[in-house]
Amino acid sequence: MLEPLIAHFESYLPLKESEMQLLEGRVTQRKIKRRQHILQEGFPCKHYSFVVEGCFKMYGVDQKGNQHNIQFAAENDWIADIGSFHSNKSSKLFIEAIEPSLILQIEQQDLYFLYQSIPKLDRIFKVIIENKFVELQNQVLQNISSTAQERYAAFLEQYPKLALRLPNTQIASYLGITPQYLSEIRNERS
Amino acid sequence: MYDLFFKKFRERIDLSPEEEIQIKSYLIPKKIRRRQYLLQEGDICKHIAFVEKGALREYSIEGGTEHIILFALEGWTVADLFSFLTGEPAVYTIDALEDSELVLISKSSHEELLQTQPKYETYMRLLITDAYIALQKRLTSSISLPIEERYKNFVETYPDIVQRVPQHMIASYMGLSPETLSRVRKKMLNQK
Amino acid sequence: MKTKQTIAVIGATGNMGSAISRALSNANYRLLLFAKDQAKLQTLVEEIRKSNVVADIESVDCSVNASWEADIILLAVPYQAEKEIAEKIREVANQKVVVSISNPLNTSFNGMVTEPDTSAAEELQKQLPHSKVVKAFNTTFAADFSTPVIDGKQVDSFIAGNHEEALQTASELVVAAGFYPILAGDLSVSRTLENMALLLIQETIKSNYDWLAGWKVLHH
Ligand SMILES: NC(=O)c1ccc[n+]([C@@H]2O[C@H](COP(=O)([O-])OP(=O)(O)OC[C@H]3O[C@@H](n4cnc5c(N)ncnc54)[C@H](OP(=O)(O)O)[C@@H]3O)[C@@H](O)[C@H]2O)c1
Repeated sequence: MLEPLIAHFESYLPLKESEMQLLEGRVTQRKIKRRQHILQEGFPCKHYSFVVEGCFKMYGVDQKGNQHNIQFAAENDWIADIGSFHSNKSSKLFIEAIEPSLILQIEQQDLYFLYQSIPKLDRIFKVIIENKFVELQNQVLQNISSTAQERYAAFLEQYPKLALRLPNTQIASYLGITPQYLSEIRNERS
Repeated sequence: MYDLFFKKFRERIDLSPEEEIQIKSYLIPKKIRRRQYLLQEGDICKHIAFVEKGALREYSIEGGTEHIILFALEGWTVADLFSFLTGEPAVYTIDALEDSELVLISKSSHEELLQTQPKYETYMRLLITDAYIALQKRLTSSISLPIEERYKNFVETYPDIVQRVPQHMIASYMGLSPETLSRVRKKMLNQK
Repeated sequence: MKTKQTIAVIGATGNMGSAISRALSNANYRLLLFAKDQAKLQTLVEEIRKSNVVADIESVDCSVNASWEADIILLAVPYQAEKEIAEKIREVANQKVVVSISNPLNTSFNGMVTEPDTSAAEELQKQLPHSKVVKAFNTTFAADFSTPVIDGKQVDSFIAGNHEEALQTASELVVAAGFYPILAGDLSVSRTLENMALLLIQETIKSNYDWLAGWKVLHH
């Protein structure tokens, strides 16, 4: 059950047998249906979730009830409201499956235990978060500086595989534009 | 010279005096004056900078317009992380908003410390996690909140920045024109 | 590189300090000059500004502050003073490139005050264990800076050091000053370089070269 996660960690650094065993019992596997939430606004984000199969979106809902997608995660990626995860404060975000999915989840106390007992995970998670930080910083920069066209181009670069997999409405919500406008941008590009 | 650096470190992780001395031997104390560059886009980012005193900003320049991605006041860390990690040319520029005192860590020192001092590695993971959380919050608020709320959030989260940084830079940080931000502030004042 | 590096020149009013400052003021550096005699220093700064209006140059009245603000520290002082200053700046020079240009000559110019198994640069490195000491400019005369090409040949300037980054930095300084850089080896090679300076001084005095002389490695 843990193979995909171990393979993911080992793409950074090889793990010893004993280290792999420590992961047992600290990681839970869950099947998630399409449209099912693994995080709801108003609750703390209890898990760091690793996507084995499927695809998720993380979004906020504004006062008018509009959804705004902030992040996507497909196979071999992590998704969590990390601020809420570490602080135990209630989240302002939702995480929902866009496809039927299989995930591996780690709770806060278990992650802290793993950091303590497998120092390598310190390094691995440092690198994972560094990479995600750089992606997110690009996204923030796009958000304050770019046109919808440029943001779409950046989206394609960040999520090359997801562009075909995600419904138009979801990408439009991520870009902060209407689905109609997204179609226009796509037509212009082709 | 390194007081705040180690204060912040100890807030998260215990350090013995020997460990502090070991880490200190890798740090570069550096003063920089207002308006001076620490990094210009196109160069390779060779240091992580911790702000002991003063204020810096990090921004990208596109079509002559500056877009501010970060304000770094006392206790913050600033670098073009992608450039620092990969050795690729930086896309960001970093300069000083005030006369400042920094603690710099070079790439080679950073790597040696990661190899030799597990506590440094843990601390770096915590720092990058904090920075990631701050970005995630910023993006969430910029995407899903109306401008007034965003500005209110900003003022509540970073009261020091509002005091010390000119309004047009805060507008650039929020992705607004200075006029829009000034309209929002007036409206908020009138509501009080 | 677009980002300017800041160089502290300690002893800027001397023969070497002023020659190096003049030369480097034309390159992409920010210069912080320190000397004991502030009036003399001010005159020098104004003179450099006059001859080069875009020079990024300032006087500083404290060697520690100048070194704290610098990325590169250049000690343009006699060997004895170098030791004295190193004590003061040790903390602010941590992990920085420190350039030693001194030749520890005795007063009769016929030998060194250092032991044969060491050199001024190695002694400085012992004093500043966490700095990146590099030997440079000690084989070129102050007068050479205004005439780095003598008799149609570009004067060589030899560099020795243990840190890759410091060697690179020193090499850029040498090029900016108009000389041809030769990376001679690790810091212990400073012994040879300091003795090369001694020999050049002896030859210069003997043959009356008027201090316009330099080393050149000829090769095909
Ligand atoms: N001259 C050359 O062609 C040449 C060539 C290669 C290498 N060098 C080396 O370069 C160094 C400087 O030589 P120079 O010919 O330029 O000598 P210089 O003209 O006598 O200059 C020495 C400078 O150091 C300052 N100084 C002396 N003692 C000091 C102290 N305790 N603290 C702070 N500053 C102090 C002096 O300031 P005050 O005048 O105020 O005392 C002066 O500015 C020497 O180590 C020499 O071996 C010289």
